[in-house]
Amino acid sequence: MNRMGRTGLAGAGVLAVAALVALVAPLLIDADSLDVTRVTAQAWQPPGAGHWLGTDHTGRSVALLMAQGTGTSLFVGLTAAVLSVGIGTLVGIVSGHFGGLLAGTLLRVTDFFLVLPALVLAIALSTVLPRGLGTIVLAIGLTSWPSTARMVRAQTLTIEARPFVERARALGGGHGHVIARHVVPSVVPLVLVNATLAVASAIVAESTLAFLGLGDPTRISWGAMLHQAQLHGAVPQQAWWYLLPPGLAIVVVVLAFTLVGRALEAVVTPKR
Amino acid sequence: MRVKLCALLAIATTLGLSAPPASAQQPVVLKVAIVQQIDSMNPFLAVFQSSTEIGRLMYDYLTAYTAQDQSVTEGLANRWQPSPDRLTWTFTVPEGKKWSDGVPITARDVAFTYNLMLTDEVARTANGSFVTNFAEVTAPDDRTVVIRTKTPQVTMLALDVPIVPEHVWSKVGSIKDYANDQMPVVGSGPFVLSEHVPGQFIKLQANRTYWRGAPKYDELHFVYFQNSDAAVQALAKGEIDLVNRMAPAQFDSLQGKAGVTRNKAMGRRFTELMINPGAQTRTGELIGDGSPVLRDVRVRRALAQAIDLDALVARVNLGYAEKGAGLVPPVFGKYHWQPSAAEARTFDPAAAGAALDAAGYPRKADGTRFPLRLIGRAGRAYDEQASEYLKRSMSDIGVPLDVRLVSDNQLNESTTAATYDLAFSGWSTNIDPDFVLSLHTCAQRPGADGKGGTTDTYFCDETYDRLYAQQLSEFDEARRVEIVKQMQARFYDQVPAVVLAYENALEGYRSDHFARFTTQPAQGGVIMAQNGMWGYYGAEPAQRTAQAASSGWTGFAVAGGVVAALVAAFVVLARRRRATAGERE
Repeated sequence: MNRMGRTGLAGAGVLAVAALVALVAPLLIDADSLDVTRVTAQAWQPPGAGHWLGTDHTGRSVALLMAQGTGTSLFVGLTAAVLSVGIGTLVGIVSGHFGGLLAGTLLRVTDFFLVLPALVLAIALSTVLPRGLGTIVLAIGLTSWPSTARMVRAQTLTIEARPFVERARALGGGHGHVIARHVVPSVVPLVLVNATLAVASAIVAESTLAFLGLGDPTRISWGAMLHQAQLHGAVPQQAWWYLLPPGLAIVVVVLAFTLVGRALEAVVTPKR
Repeated sequence: MRVKLCALLAIATTLGLSAPPASAQQPVVLKVAIVQQIDSMNPFLAVFQSSTEIGRLMYDYLTAYTAQDQSVTEGLANRWQPSPDRLTWTFTVPEGKKWSDGVPITARDVAFTYNLMLTDEVARTANGSFVTNFAEVTAPDDRTVVIRTKTPQVTMLALDVPIVPEHVWSKVGSIKDYANDQMPVVGSGPFVLSEHVPGQFIKLQANRTYWRGAPKYDELHFVYFQNSDAAVQALAKGEIDLVNRMAPAQFDSLQGKAGVTRNKAMGRRFTELMINPGAQTRTGELIGDGSPVLRDVRVRRALAQAIDLDALVARVNLGYAEKGAGLVPPVFGKYHWQPSAAEARTFDPAAAGAALDAAGYPRKADGTRFPLRLIGRAGRAYDEQASEYLKRSMSDIGVPLDVRLVSDNQLNESTTAATYDLAFSGWSTNIDPDFVLSLHTCAQRPGADGKGGTTDTYFCDETYDRLYAQQLSEFDEARRVEIVKQMQARFYDQVPAVVLAYENALEGYRSDHFARFTTQPAQGGVIMAQNGMWGYYGAEPAQRTAQAASSGWTGFAVAGGVVAALVAAFVVLARRRRATAGERE
């Protein structure tokens, strides 16, 4: 197996662990141990026997917060990526296939979103819309689709220039037939790769928004933990155990998604 | 190689943070951290707390408040006498007080300042509310100021207006455009403004001819910091001498630090949870979309009873607050009100639930009674944390809370448009309780167009309004105190808001540089943000000894190491990827 495959597998392994934690944590963690009104431990305890990663400003275990936050971060990352890649694929295929005025309009819209600073737009959206997980997903999804659209359009154009598509058209295949039978199957691998990489950037985007205090205040995510750590004085307390774990977790999971994405990319990139 | 450099750099940066600062030998300087910007050095325009604080150092007022107990004492005037009808007040400005340029301070300066405010609308920008009731101000001679008011005014000895020198300000053409930056700025206070670089520092020199006596040190510097975390670190390292407005966690982090003394002072602020009592305009039309169940005072009382104020103070304020009761914080002891044992609502979820049952809001099949919304400010530590406690307490009595933390603007919009059920708010209060009491009168509600008025909670109560009018014209202090307390009791009973806590003002200073500061009031008072300048004026330098500050940054060194390792991992991975990409092409 080549090197790419090995790193890809390592990434997949990390993701499997993260997914397991995300699924199992809510079942195992007692709700009271994350309820600030019910915890009994001292605030700002450094890592030790009782609390592997110490405690936060209210006495909650950082390790439990980390486990609980995995689900939120992965969920937002995945759904936002699906939304963004979904919009991008739709716009890309439609503009690539139909061409003309429709394509022109769609491309101008794409360009518009491409030049907008995504973070600023996401901040504006999450400020205007009511707070919640859905808003964050929407804000990330709506700001990160243009690159997918561009790429899918390019792929659509190359596929449609191939002789077999021309043949299908000559045999009487309509728009629906060409798109469903020929374009989509050859675009899907690319889209999948793109989606994997999009998850990575969506997780970073979620953490950024949550760190800026724009996330869902009632949910624990890694970004929200960093926000609270900063807000409630982890720096003057020198509570590195509250700042480092969420930061490292984000790095590791994003890295894992990137590795998997790159490995998949190597597999599906059409060989010349 | 590059990787190693990265790691070295990271560690060097981390260690660099704990390098000992160079300390100046002389002159003796008090360095104070300042986070808020200055809006103007012109005392007629300055409204920010930071600006008025510096204004108090530069200019004396007609009267002052003692550091001991905040009672009225000599300012520029040392004697005052109201006429029997309380409409004419005569103040005496004694001989011997001088402006910092040597010109004597006279009654004409005082009359000039007030008349400038009466004639020039721009000059009323910052302190206009003090003179709106003035009919005429004259100075029959150099020692006497006579102020005639339209109606009797109880706040005549609390005129927080900086008095400016006539010989400087009479030459000012447009108040609006005058920056007051002709250094050194001529003033009457214990310090003279000598240099101001916006966003960097403000320097003041001690006024050697100050009539109370010169300050005990030479210069007072205000140094800007981007945020309070940075200011606290600078204090810990001895770069600055005085910091205020610390967060509880920051305050705790200074515990036991050599050379630093912490001052936990009673604050002038209260934090409240507003309960929309069915907001109406002045003309009685309903506005906003507050839940109708909250119009029932029994419901509001039950909600208030279900909030564990002691737990909030202990866990959210980390103990750095007093439990809330009346509208006037305990720092203004005279007017502060505490409920008697019979009046007090002690925390009791069971009783609160029973009260809701009795009021006709039984639990439904799913265990809830009615949902409510709670709105607060995102990014304010108190709101973020207290909302979790309130959510829990309310759900215990069957009231599910939908918590929404929003931006400052959205919160303001929501509270002024009354589109809230429960909302976090808070006010700073003055020595004279008139302002904070006025916020809850019917007249402060907005007009038909939804504009005007600065109501706090849309409270409108006949009894409260009648008492408000009484205290305003009550010149016997003991009787006024009694009325003010009755008003707070009425407010507590009708619960348009629950006063949650009076936050402590958390300050810290380098006791190895300055041995003592004057607090106001003397017991449990503040050093900065006083009703006066005693904190800065009364600071006494300590015997200076050279010493280096050191701090335990091992945690962050470890962090730096880990970050460097990650950077290394990335570089290696990027190289590998480039290598595979090369193989692929």
